[in-house]
Amino acid sequence: MMRGIHQNFDRQSAPAFFVRGPSPFARLTFFTALSLALMATDSRLQYLDNVRQNLMSLLQPLQTIANIPSEVYQSTDTYFSTHHFLLAENKRLKEQALAQNVKLQKLKSLSLENENLRQLLHAQQSLAESSTLAEIDYIGRDAFSKKIIVNRGTNHQIVTGAAAVDATGVIGQVTRTYSNSSEVTLITDKSLAIPVQVERNGLRAIAFGHGRDNTLDLPYLPANVDIDVGDRLVTSDIDGIYPAGLAVADVVEMKTSPDSLFARIVCKPSAGIENYRQILLVSIPKPAAETAPASDKGADQKLPSPIEKAITGAAKPDMPTNAAASPTAATAEAARAQH
Amino acid sequence: MLLAILFWLLRAPNLCNVGTAWLMGLFMDLAMGGIFGQYALAYTVTTFFAVVYQRRLALFSRTQQLFYVFSLLLLSQLILLILKAFTGAEFIGWHYFIPSLSGVMLWQIATTLGLNTGRRSHGN
Repeated sequence: MMRGIHQNFDRQSAPAFFVRGPSPFARLTFFTALSLALMATDSRLQYLDNVRQNLMSLLQPLQTIANIPSEVYQSTDTYFSTHHFLLAENKRLKEQALAQNVKLQKLKSLSLENENLRQLLHAQQSLAESSTLAEIDYIGRDAFSKKIIVNRGTNHQIVTGAAAVDATGVIGQVTRTYSNSSEVTLITDKSLAIPVQVERNGLRAIAFGHGRDNTLDLPYLPANVDIDVGDRLVTSDIDGIYPAGLAVADVVEMKTSPDSLFARIVCKPSAGIENYRQILLVSIPKPAAETAPASDKGADQKLPSPIEKAITGAAKPDMPTNAAASPTAATAEAARAQH
Repeated sequence: MLLAILFWLLRAPNLCNVGTAWLMGLFMDLAMGGIFGQYALAYTVTTFFAVVYQRRLALFSRTQQLFYVFSLLLLSQLILLILKAFTGAEFIGWHYFIPSLSGVMLWQIATTLGLNTGRRSHGN
């Protein structure tokens, strides 16, 4: 490569018979073998994680530079946003703050009450989760996976497995962390599964990303399952990753066909998965795997990676099935939830 | 990205070769967060075909060159598709190939802007 520099820049005027080095075919063979080896190593073994981390920190400045034009556009856009617009937004936000203050007061009394009740029941205190505000750097261009890169990483105490949420619900989960950025896999990605609960009757299930369009699937549920269009799915806190009660999705389609044992349930994520720039990364502090190893929460804690979760989800489809097959159990749970 | 590599490959093949493309592909893999080597492989194969026909390409007319670049872009996307299929992805629909079209449009813009794409032009 370097040998060619003294040659005329435009090789049309100086046919470069001698500067080519190894023949293109030899190079093709060599680099193809190299890429295949890399793919095999990366997909089967874990050696390359450190390499990826280091290279990523090298690549970081380049990406920042590449993002400059869009950032400049956005900042000029905000600069020129009109006075009227800002006033309207200010008013709206004040109203919102008022409404939320009222709710917050209620929440305070409720959490106090909850604490008292928990003490009465000698129940474990639910853990306070730590959260970090992050901004989306860019969206992965890969058409096959739904991933976003956010601007907080291990330097900001982000750990792999943290949940990513926005104001309206769950977005996804942190699957890779670099020093100053981390990769969030969206719940619509094919490889991500999230344990959910139907808000109406407490039925547990596992939602899988569809991958192709922005929907979630609820597979492995029997055709007679008690789910209707419009039902809201919330996180169930069984995995110990997502705090309980966050909105995940709404059921938009429920189909049963006579030739299939399972219902086909399509859900639409309630979070603005592709709308917002700011998201919240919530990580529940690792509880009590040592202090209370017997609790089933600790047992599920060991499954941070979505793939592992997917595997376990696929491996025990009878878990939600059982819950659904016995309507008495479901109604009992619902009754308990109401009290 | 690939378009830039192809451009330099046809413009100055003594500065840019299959190895450069492989390295750039590796960076793409890194930025995408996928399995290492997918983009690298796709770029390697594509640039190989570009290098092999590079001298003939210089004699092509602008339209012929355009078609050739288009097929190269398609080829790289096809390789990526096959690799992804191996790792369990589904085909996401024909809009997957649209980037090839937009790439070829960019190429057309570049040539009309007067960037010499290795083609023997009258002025040279």
